Amino acid sequence: MSKTVLGISAFYHDSAAAIVRDGEIVAAAQEERFTRRKHDPRFPKNAINYCLEEAFIEPSELDTIVFYDHPLLTWDRVLKSCISIGERSKEQFTKACASVLGIKIWVQDLVRESLGSLGKLDKLLVTEHHMAHAASAFYPSPFESAAILTLDGVGEWATTTVGMGEGREIQLLQEIDYPHSLGLFYSAFTYYCGFKVNSGEYKLMGLAPYGEPTYYDLIRKNLIDVKTDGSYRLNTEYFGYLHSLRMTNERFETLFGGPPRNSESRITLREINLAASVQKVTEEVVVLLVRHARKKTGCDKLVMAGGVALNCVANGKICRENIFDDIWIQPAAGDAGGALGAALLVSHNYFGIPRCVRDDGRDSQKGSYLGPRFQPQEISAFLERNSYPYERVISLENRTRIIAQAIAEGKIVGFFSGRMEFGPRALGARSILGDPRRKETQSVMNLKIKHRESFRPFAPSVLLEDCSEYFELDSESPYMLIVAPVREERRLPTDLRQALRNGVDILNVVNEPRSDLPAVTHVDYSARIQTVNPYDHPDYYRVIRAFKDISGYGVVVNTSFNVRGEPIVCSPSDAYRCFMRTEMDLLVLEDCLVWKRMQPESHHDSTWQTEFELD
Amino acid sequence: MTRQILEYHPVIGYRFIPNLKARIPHEGGGYLIQTNSSGFRCCHEFKTDPTPFMKRVLLFGDSYTAGDGVSNGQRYGDKIEALANAEVYNFGLPGTAPDQHYLAFMEYASKIRADLTIITVLVENIRRIAARYRPYQNEQGNTVLFSKPYFTLINGSLELHGVPVGREPIKEADLPEQSREFVDTGGRFASLRKIMNRVGLKDLTQRALHYQPLPEYDDPQNSYWLLMRAILEKFIAAVPKPVVVMPLPLYQHVEGTADPSGYQSRFSELADSNPCLVHDPLPSLLKYSPTERRSFRFAQDIHPTPAGHVAIAASLAPVVMDLLGMKKVT
Ligand SMILES: [Fe+2]
Repeated sequence: MSKTVLGISAFYHDSAAAIVRDGEIVAAAQEERFTRRKHDPRFPKNAINYCLEEAFIEPSELDTIVFYDHPLLTWDRVLKSCISIGERSKEQFTKACASVLGIKIWVQDLVRESLGSLGKLDKLLVTEHHMAHAASAFYPSPFESAAILTLDGVGEWATTTVGMGEGREIQLLQEIDYPHSLGLFYSAFTYYCGFKVNSGEYKLMGLAPYGEPTYYDLIRKNLIDVKTDGSYRLNTEYFGYLHSLRMTNERFETLFGGPPRNSESRITLREINLAASVQKVTEEVVVLLVRHARKKTGCDKLVMAGGVALNCVANGKICRENIFDDIWIQPAAGDAGGALGAALLVSHNYFGIPRCVRDDGRDSQKGSYLGPRFQPQEISAFLERNSYPYERVISLENRTRIIAQAIAEGKIVGFFSGRMEFGPRALGARSILGDPRRKETQSVMNLKIKHRESFRPFAPSVLLEDCSEYFELDSESPYMLIVAPVREERRLPTDLRQALRNGVDILNVVNEPRSDLPAVTHVDYSARIQTVNPYDHPDYYRVIRAFKDISGYGVVVNTSFNVRGEPIVCSPSDAYRCFMRTEMDLLVLEDCLVWKRMQPESHHDSTWQTEFELD
Repeated sequence: MTRQILEYHPVIGYRFIPNLKARIPHEGGGYLIQTNSSGFRCCHEFKTDPTPFMKRVLLFGDSYTAGDGVSNGQRYGDKIEALANAEVYNFGLPGTAPDQHYLAFMEYASKIRADLTIITVLVENIRRIAARYRPYQNEQGNTVLFSKPYFTLINGSLELHGVPVGREPIKEADLPEQSREFVDTGGRFASLRKIMNRVGLKDLTQRALHYQPLPEYDDPQNSYWLLMRAILEKFIAAVPKPVVVMPLPLYQHVEGTADPSGYQSRFSELADSNPCLVHDPLPSLLKYSPTERRSFRFAQDIHPTPAGHVAIAASLAPVVMDLLGMKKVT
């Protein structure tokens, strides 16, 4: 009998919902995309609405609903850690009580109230947080069996787990518990360097290549004790998160020479070198854990999830170390992916649905294009209703050629095509595209499109079959989760480190070309790669192919379709608004082409400046 | 994010976007809508030839018939379909009145062979037929107006205006003073109603004043009624017979806070001189307890709940089965 399961994650960070039918992923989406509030942690009623729409069923037709986290275990952790720390933790205790007691144990009531039904089982199931992460990593992977590594900030108690999946079974074999957490360790430095915890980690990782790990010894000696099997303990005397709402404390500040950087102030060599140092320590721990997972499980494949698995520099390192034959990482590795993991876990474990690994070696994540799609007729109805000028180009071939030509002419193209991505990266369904060959693409995209200055280059989307022509990567990276070097012969000599030592601002350094793909090459000649195959998103693949026909390069620049601080666009209306807020030249909404030069002046919009805050 | 579900139509004004599957968030928990390739919220593709061994019913109406607030299968039209073992072609279109329903018939149904036609008239739509513009909130958050087709009745003859319907929105400020009374604002006393809703005195006030929400029905010579009647007569004459006209009461009528006698008299006069049967569901709805009757609409939204649709279907089904020559379920 067919079984349909709704998974929900909420109340920490980045709420989401997913629907799985007979083990097949039908839909998954993050709440932020609908509410337009980045990392929205509230109950994901809009994401649930979308999932029910995609599955086209009533809530009462769901076999069950599952929450990705065990509220009572989380409560247990909060209580015990507060007791052990005593009076100092009052502030955090109050906050945690509000979030845990106030909401979580009422999740069942909330779901019933919001949907009018708890499905056929008439009760809410819960999974353990890291089981949900593990399930999200293993079940969609292309492997019959695999070692599982999950790494995040914190769930209930666990922060790191090593496990194993085989067929439809998952076992967690070992765990490291709060307050020892590689995720929180990284977040502490994110906070200290003046970026936002839970979203600025990406910036810290992007900063690392500029620096040298001069603080490495200090960190290893004082903050983290790492064993040869990768298990670690943090010296909690240095971290603020146990007893306050801050990530670091005075001891931490004394150790690194002063208070945290103010988010508005200039990035100094201290932050740059701290980023390099913490990145080095993190990579070291992750590599040790991966080696341990290999030994412990005897598996030759690895799957990963949890927020730390979004550290694509560390992932690239794992790949190059060749510890496992193959690696698969859940693209929605953070807590949003917990909704999907929980739904998959219940499908396979509770309902006993057999797990079918595809025989063509591909995964079951469907390119992570699991969100809403808008039919061409919906889009033209939207454009007509608002009297926005557009041209409809129904011929796929002509349309593709027009888009590729625009990119090759240096135009910036908003590309809205097919189902929206699940997970933090835009993968060609809600992307902004540009020409990677041009020196100015980087600064144009940053200043005129994203409205920010950035020290991070953009990501390349490269035709899978051409990847090794540009990059030293011999595996697929469809979810932009692996960083690999640009090929040696494409690199240009630079002396950036010296420039930095001489006090040159990194924002000046970043725009210097470092290869014949300047817009996507980082200062250490690395690139955050998305390989594009012809199967998952054929229309996107065709655009890059057509660009190659014109330019000779099978690569385009791909950045997420949003302005800074805004969630990635979801609907045609979000896309049009973002388009008019930026200096994009062309907006592709399925088969409708919207040219900036044809739009009425009155629709130009600068309200983004007040609407979204910095990461 | 809510999906846009309607699109421009040059004759009717608008229709549903064809081949749409959407779920609309709603206080009732949300509902699924599915449209066919002709742009109607109907699970059948419209065919002109009869389906063997199947009776066919054409159903016209506004949001109550299209089913705002409930999923396709929960609407009274779909309930009738199940009860009478017939296929119901649902032409319901939110925000419209019999003028646009007639135009929808002419555009999409005039060649369809059917065994019965049901024309549902939400009694409040006596005002909507006089409207020439509908307000719409655009992307910039401003209210703009879109034209709708409309009829006038001059010296006893009906004349259609505003076709093809203008595509461009009209700014409220650009509308000439004399045209402002033709904007569909959803009832003449909208602003007063809003105030009363806010202070929570609505029911009380209605009872105390023996509220008559639709005085247009009080006089058989009222110009609004004459226009409504002329449109309905033209409509009835055009559609496949037999024809049932069903005046749908407002919730105030159902819950006993308003007097229905005005519209009941007018619709029975209509039945007396036209080849149609008027089915008034109000008497059967009034048989339910006050609590049940309150459950026929949502807490905020006045559209029928699934229970409301079941009650309407229960009232209408015997009539439909009788006219289709089927045995009544006892
Ligand atoms: Fe997590």
